[in-house]
Amino acid sequence: MNEGATTAAELAPGSRGGGFLESRAGRALARNWSAWFLLLLLVTFSFTGRNFLSIGNFQHVVHLQTLPLLLAAAETLVIVTGGIDLSIGFVAGLASVTAAKLMQLLAAAGLPAGAVIALGAAGALVLSLLPGLVNGLVITRFRVPPFIATLGMWGIANGLALKLSEGFPVAGLPGALPRLGNGYVVYLLPGEFLSFLGPPAGFPEGRIREVWRLVPFSLVFVAAVLAALAFVLRRGRFGRHTYAIGGSVDAALRAGIDVRRHLVWIYVLASGLAGLAGVFNVFQTGIGNYTTFSAMYELFAVAAVVIGGASLSGGKGRVLGSAVGVLVLAFLQNGLAISGVQPFYRYIAVGVLLVIAVVIDKLFPDLR
Amino acid sequence: MKRSSLAGLLLAVGGALPGPVTAAPKILFMPGVADPFYFTMEKGIKAKAAELGAELVVAEYPKAWGPEHQIPILQATIARQKFDLLLVAPTSTDALKAPLKAIYEKGVEIITVDTFLGDGDYSKKSDYSFPLAYIGSDNELGGRLMAEHLARLVGEKGKVFVEATNPDTSSVQGRVKGFKEGIAKFPNMKLVGVEWCQDVQQKAQEQTLAALQRDKDIVGIFGTNVFSAQGSYQAVVNAGLTGAVKIASWDATQELIAALKKGQVDLVLAQKPAEMGALAVEWGVKYLQDRKNVKVPKKVIPGFEFFTKANVDDPKMQQFIYK
Repeated sequence: MNEGATTAAELAPGSRGGGFLESRAGRALARNWSAWFLLLLLVTFSFTGRNFLSIGNFQHVVHLQTLPLLLAAAETLVIVTGGIDLSIGFVAGLASVTAAKLMQLLAAAGLPAGAVIALGAAGALVLSLLPGLVNGLVITRFRVPPFIATLGMWGIANGLALKLSEGFPVAGLPGALPRLGNGYVVYLLPGEFLSFLGPPAGFPEGRIREVWRLVPFSLVFVAAVLAALAFVLRRGRFGRHTYAIGGSVDAALRAGIDVRRHLVWIYVLASGLAGLAGVFNVFQTGIGNYTTFSAMYELFAVAAVVIGGASLSGGKGRVLGSAVGVLVLAFLQNGLAISGVQPFYRYIAVGVLLVIAVVIDKLFPDLR
Repeated sequence: MKRSSLAGLLLAVGGALPGPVTAAPKILFMPGVADPFYFTMEKGIKAKAAELGAELVVAEYPKAWGPEHQIPILQATIARQKFDLLLVAPTSTDALKAPLKAIYEKGVEIITVDTFLGDGDYSKKSDYSFPLAYIGSDNELGGRLMAEHLARLVGEKGKVFVEATNPDTSSVQGRVKGFKEGIAKFPNMKLVGVEWCQDVQQKAQEQTLAALQRDKDIVGIFGTNVFSAQGSYQAVVNAGLTGAVKIASWDATQELIAALKKGQVDLVLAQKPAEMGALAVEWGVKYLQDRKNVKVPKKVIPGFEFFTKANVDDPKMQQFIYK
C-alpha cells in the first residue's frame, strides 16, 4: 500500500482510519459537545461578565427559558420522526391568548380566582391539541410535507391569535397568576427566616431583594415535564416507534408499526406542549401574549434541537440534549450581554454556533 | 367606458355644488404594524373621515414591523383601487422612498404619519420631499422630555438603562437619541446600556435582567415602546427591585396604565395617535379640495402627555389612553 491510498481511505466518509475525530475520546467529545460547550461558556463568562456567576442570574436565565425549553421538547419529538413543526411558536401564542380570554370570561361570570385560573388554563390546553391534530391528519392522510402543512398552521394559528386578542395583549387577569408563575419554593434570609412557597406574612415588599429565593416553580415544572418526556422517548414502546419511523418509514411499516397513527399522535403531542408553553407564558407575565413574528420561536426551537445533537433527517435526537441546546443559546446571549458585548455581535455569535452544530452533525452521522 | 361616464356625471354634479368640492376623496391608511398604537390611530382616522365625508380603506395590518412586510401589502392594495390620499407609517426611513415615490407619481398624495422618510424634513428639496407632510411625534423631543421626567423621579443621580426595539426605525432611533441627550444634561447620571428586543417581550425581559445583573445599582429604565416597557417591568418585578428601579415607558396602552396604577411603572408618555390620524385626514382632505390655495405645513407635531400615579385617575387624562 502506498501513502496516497492511505490518505484517500482516511478521507472517505465513514472510514475508521484513526485520527482524533475517530478516536473514542473524540467521539465522546462530539456526542456531548453542546454540554461541554455550555460548560465552557459558563466558565468563560464567569471571568468576563460582572456578576454573571450568581445563582440569581442562572435562575433567571432558566426561568425565562421555560417557554423555549417546552417548545424545543415539542420540536424534538417531531424532528426525531424526520418531520418538522413550524407552527409551535404561534400555537403557543394562540394558547396564551385563549387561556387569557377564557379567564376573562370566567372571571366576568363571577367564579372565584382559583377556578378561573384552573379552568382557563385547562380549557386552553385542550384546545391547543387541535392544531396538532389538523397538522397530523393533513400530513398523514394527504401526504403533505410537514414543512408545508405546519407552515399553513403557522399562519392560521397566528391569525386566530391576533383576531382573538385584536392585537392587544389580553390583560385584567387574576393577580395570583404572575405570583404563581414567578414564585420560588424556598425563601431564605440568613439569621431571620427560612420559609417555603413565599416570604413570611408581613415581610415588607421593599426588602425582597435581600432574600435568597431558590428553586423557581418554573424550574420544578419544566424539569418534571422534560423528565417525563425523556423517559417516554427513551424507555417505552412509544419512543421506540418514534425513533424507528425517523430511521426509516419503510422499515417501520414492515415492522408492523401503524406509522400514520403514530405520526398524528406526535403532532398532537407537539402541539399540546406548545399549548403548555403558551399557558405557562400567561402565568409568567400575567397577561395573554400573542406571538410576534420577530420572536421566531419555532426557528430557535429547531436550532436548539440541532445544537442538542438531533439530525434534521430524523432518527436522532434527545429531549435533554435539546434542553442543553436551549441553554447554550440562552447563556451565550446572557453571558455576552453581561460581558458588555454589543447586541449586533451577539447575532453573529448565534449564527456561527448554528453552523458549527450542523457541521458536527455531518462529521458524525452515526452518533446517537 | 361606463365607469368614466359615471365619473363624468359625478364631476358634473360636483361642479354644480357651491365650492370646489368634487367627489368624496378616497383615502388609504397603511399602518406600520398590528399594535394598539395604530389601532388607536385608525379610530382617529375613521372618525375624522366619517365627519368629513371621505371614503376610507384600511390596508391589512402587517403582522411584523419592516419594509419586507409592509411594501407587498401596500402595493397590492394600491394596485386594486384608485386612491386620492395615502396615509402611511413608513417602516423604514430608506426602503419606502422608492415605492412611495412611484405611488406619488401615479397621482396619489401622501402624508406620512408617526414615522417618516429620510430625516423627516420634507421642506427642502430631496428625493424624499414629495409627501405633503409628516404628522407625528417629535421622537427626539419626546426622548429628551422623558429623560428629564425620569431624572426628576430618581433625584437626578444614578445609572439608567434603555430597552429599545428596532435599530432601523426612525421613531425608535429618535427616542433613544433624545433620551441620551437628555440624560447627558445631568452630571450625576449615566446611561449604562441600550438593548434591542425587536418587539419581543420575552427578549426585553431577558435583556433587562442581564443589565440589572451587570449593574445592580440601576435606578431607572426607559422602555421605548409597549413591548420593551412591559418586558422590563416584569424583569424588575422578578429581580425583586419594584420601587428601587423607576420605569419610564412610551405609549399609554391599557396594560401600562394598569401597571402604573399598581406601581409597577412610574412614568408613561402618551403620544396622541388618534389626534395624528385625525390631523392627517383633516389636512389631506383640505388640500385635495383646494390644491391651489391650501398650504399644508410640512411637519405637524401633536404634543405629548405624561401619566404619573398622581394624574392617572384624572378624568381629563383618560382620553389619552390607547383603546
